[in-house]
Amino acid sequence: MTSKFELSIISAESKVFEGEVESVLVPGMIGDFLVLSNHAPCISSIRPGFLEFSEGTSKKQRYFVSGGIIEVSNNVVSVLVDSAIAGDKIVKEDITTLIHEIDDKLSAGDIVNKDDLGLRKNDLEEALKQA
Amino acid sequence: MPSLKDLKIRIDSVKSTRKITKAMQMVAAAKLRKAQETAEKGRPYAEKMRAIVSNLASSAKNIAADNKFLGDGRNSKKFLLIVATAERGLCGGFNSSIVKLAKSRIAELTSQSKEIKILTIGKKGREQLNREFESLFIGHVDLSGEKNITIETARKISTDIISRFEVGEYEVAEIFYNKFASVISQIPSSYKLLPVSFNEKEVDATNVSFNFEPDEDEILNEVIPKSIATSIFSVLQENAASEQGSRMAAMDNATRNAGEMIDKLTIDFNRSRQAAITNELIEIISGAEAL
Repeated sequence: MTSKFELSIISAESKVFEGEVESVLVPGMIGDFLVLSNHAPCISSIRPGFLEFSEGTSKKQRYFVSGGIIEVSNNVVSVLVDSAIAGDKIVKEDITTLIHEIDDKLSAGDIVNKDDLGLRKNDLEEALKQA
Repeated sequence: MPSLKDLKIRIDSVKSTRKITKAMQMVAAAKLRKAQETAEKGRPYAEKMRAIVSNLASSAKNIAADNKFLGDGRNSKKFLLIVATAERGLCGGFNSSIVKLAKSRIAELTSQSKEIKILTIGKKGREQLNREFESLFIGHVDLSGEKNITIETARKISTDIISRFEVGEYEVAEIFYNKFASVISQIPSSYKLLPVSFNEKEVDATNVSFNFEPDEDEILNEVIPKSIATSIFSVLQENAASEQGSRMAAMDNATRNAGEMIDKLTIDFNRSRQAAITNELIEIISGAEAL
């Protein structure tokens, strides 16, 4: 029996999920990582991708998150994301739209963080394959 | 003495004005509730964001990271003042109180011979500042197309502000808005967006040492633009709620004033009518007596 910890997924406009979970698989900026209870305190940035967590015996839940930040401290995990869509509601078109948005921004030129956008696009294309 | 007909016309016109102000008050009340609700929903994100930035900041201080966004801005020479007002008028002193606060800050900075730039959000503030400070304007954000303020709008504004910061157009950014204290009270306030300085009190008391992935500097570069967007978002939301609250109070006042005016005019009207009747009677009686 694994012990549980608190997880809250908060987007800028509302609270998306709050509850006790057993594990969270986080798409970290430099690689996916799994958070279990009693994880060491850490702060990490998140790339666009799928965040997976399980509340126990039931099926795993999946959310598509479009980049953000995670804070783990004292068995409280807070995920701050720009937007989060539940895995069963996510449509491939949504991700495609995001990719197109980045394409538009890139073609518009005079963008300071060109590399960032390129990376984001790669992440999104990766996520699209998993969707 | 206005004639009976004139009085009647005036009463009718004040009555229709009262109808309009009453309607505006009710619309503002409905919008206020909505604005408050969205502001409420966005609060957990903003709070958590502030906590994370504080945590990051305290540990960044320990490793003495030299991040471009950090600092106290004490010796800065170039200031950017962001004046956030409404797109519409008829909301009491809402717009002018923000402008007044911004103007006093401009005067203060000018006396210290600092360089000032102004970015306006919302049409009304721009109109009021246009007369005196047109040469200081570097940009304007139009919110008239937005029914509700979205995080996207806030992000656009913050991207613009940050890119200006990065090229060194200014060193300190302050935003002026109305803080929503309650439905009847809004406090004009200012808030320093950049550079980010840390309040010792906000730092997590538990003092856990965090692991960072990637390192502090990179996370700061990622988080601070986000937290600025969040700050702007909550400022705009608060401003929107304040605007509706202020309009509601102003329209409530106007409705009440119109009611008083109608009462007064009605009394005048009744008196004139009575005077006319009395006059007619006197004429009839004195006519009859003459016979």
